[in-house]
Amino acid sequence: MAAKKLRRAQLSQEMCERLSRYQVTTCQDFLCLSVLELMKVTGQNYYEVQKLLCKVSRACAPKMQTAYEMKLRKSVNPSSAFLSTTLLSLDRVLHGGVPCGSLTEITSPPGCGKTQFCIMLSVLATLPVSMGGLDGAVIYIDTESAFSAERLIEIAASRFPTYFDSDEKLLCMTRSIHLYRELTCCCVLKRIMSLEEEIISKKVKLIIIDSVASVVRKEFDTKLQGNLAERSNFLTRGASVLKYLAEEFSIPVILTNQITTLLSSGPGIQADLVSPADDLSLSE
Amino acid sequence: MQREVGTLPLAPALRARLAAAGFQTAQELLDTGPCGLSKEIGISREEALEALQVVRQECHGDAARPAGGSGATRKCTALELLEEEQTQGFIITFCSALDNILGGGVQLTKITELCGAPGVGKTQLCMQLAVDVQIPECFGGVAGEAVFIDTEGSFMVDRVVDIAAACVQHCHLIAEAQPEEDLRKALETFSLENILSHIYYFRCRDYTELLAQVYLLPEFLSEHSKVRLVVIDGIAFPFRHDFEDLSLRTRLLNGLAQQLIIIANDHKAAVVLTNQMTTRIGQSQSTLVPALGESWGHAATVRLIFHWDNSQRLATLYKSPSQKESTIAYHITSHGFRDVQPPAVTHSTEGAEPNPRKRPRTEEEKQ
Repeated sequence: MAAKKLRRAQLSQEMCERLSRYQVTTCQDFLCLSVLELMKVTGQNYYEVQKLLCKVSRACAPKMQTAYEMKLRKSVNPSSAFLSTTLLSLDRVLHGGVPCGSLTEITSPPGCGKTQFCIMLSVLATLPVSMGGLDGAVIYIDTESAFSAERLIEIAASRFPTYFDSDEKLLCMTRSIHLYRELTCCCVLKRIMSLEEEIISKKVKLIIIDSVASVVRKEFDTKLQGNLAERSNFLTRGASVLKYLAEEFSIPVILTNQITTLLSSGPGIQADLVSPADDLSLSE
Repeated sequence: MQREVGTLPLAPALRARLAAAGFQTAQELLDTGPCGLSKEIGISREEALEALQVVRQECHGDAARPAGGSGATRKCTALELLEEEQTQGFIITFCSALDNILGGGVQLTKITELCGAPGVGKTQLCMQLAVDVQIPECFGGVAGEAVFIDTEGSFMVDRVVDIAAACVQHCHLIAEAQPEEDLRKALETFSLENILSHIYYFRCRDYTELLAQVYLLPEFLSEHSKVRLVVIDGIAFPFRHDFEDLSLRTRLLNGLAQQLIIIANDHKAAVVLTNQMTTRIGQSQSTLVPALGESWGHAATVRLIFHWDNSQRLATLYKSPSQKESTIAYHITSHGFRDVQPPAVTHSTEGAEPNPRKRPRTEEEKQ
């Protein structure tokens, strides 16, 4: 929305040409200028500039919806609001399962089972809706090379022996899980940016990133100057794109995190390694 | 009428030409008339007429202001302000300890900022306020509507439904304890559907959409004149990444703050912003401070900082022009924002002026 060209904001052709002479071509450039600068750049008086501001704002402002409309829309399709984890007590605590349309973060000390949980959720997502799944593909971004395809088949075969009764069904399931191995922050970010088209073409219904913490920890030492800013820059950019994808396509997005010790003057307490602005946190 | 030409809001090129031609005051322009003006400066008659209309509008605005018109400069005495403040309502938070340290609740016409780490309850409080602003006047509320601008995507409709249902039930209990006609009549319109329909939700994905939405807010508020609360949850998120030019960020934030203050005053609305925390690395230790820098600290009138103490949530009133700094504990239950223990005393005044519209509340029914 921000990069929308002013031409499409219904400004007149000559105004757009005049503005492009000052390198003001998108709505973002236009709205970042102060009123006096706009008067100089457009050559209009104050009241005309106010009208232009309203026009450009209308072109990129979000649409209004009341909370009631949102509730009605959700209640139309209640089954697609959660991905059940098949662990009854966990589903009860989460009010149904992993929520669609928002980010969920899973954190734990090493060896507790985060990757196993993610692999199980991948299997669940490929199941048909009648069995509690999402009947779609899965995108699995693996930064630790911990994903094991054999383990995936083992979980599927032992958990749902009646459904996966033939090799063909197992292979069909594995074909809908798309694994990407990214080993640096830059690659992870690039991959996240390219996900929109993949989701549409492959009919993806679940995104898993395992794990965000390992790449960040490898590359950013928070004791060095400047690294903290760059690290939070990377995390917030990734988080905002993932939030957009989750909301736009109404699919669950799962991130895993690691636990480290927060050294303070008192006894050491456990703290999450990275904390982007996530919606829900599960601690195992 | 003696206003100088250089101060008129005309196009800069036109102003330059007028100055070059020797015009000094607005009265001279009006006396010359459009045809004379167009011949002297060399512009078309239509442009000259447009310029004169702007001048006339400005001068008319100047003349109207001393008569007490609602322009940008309003003059009133402190006594008038005191009377206004005393009759003004507060938006309660349902946590009486928090209401007490705020002096009654979230104040209208002021900007309140809520800062805290993720997960401490800022969005919960915002959703609670969006419901509480709609409480009818006979129950001690403001009977207004709410605008919710969401930049982080943390608004959950199901949670608002829970909070609204608890609020409606609470009002029903009060109405049963005090059988009066107007209470019952007010409850007819205070239903779940009505509450949800009067929360206007905007989802802004980056700072450009946020700026655009704030530019369009005055028009929206004039159309929906019952809005008494504008929530922006959170203001920090779109400005914290992708900003190499920090001076641009400061300028945009200051512009936003000014516009929000104007909106709060003109429409008698409360503006509530949520902010994130960031780490400031000192020489020997690092501390958590509100994000967006020191200069942003001046934007809000009232600042609340939420933090944890082991497993207890605490709220500290960090900045306020009228209340003293204090810390209280609060709880987030399935019904929303609440006190830690049930309040032992009633709400009737501990030093605060009795609000003539409010009825003294009976003891709150706990859950």
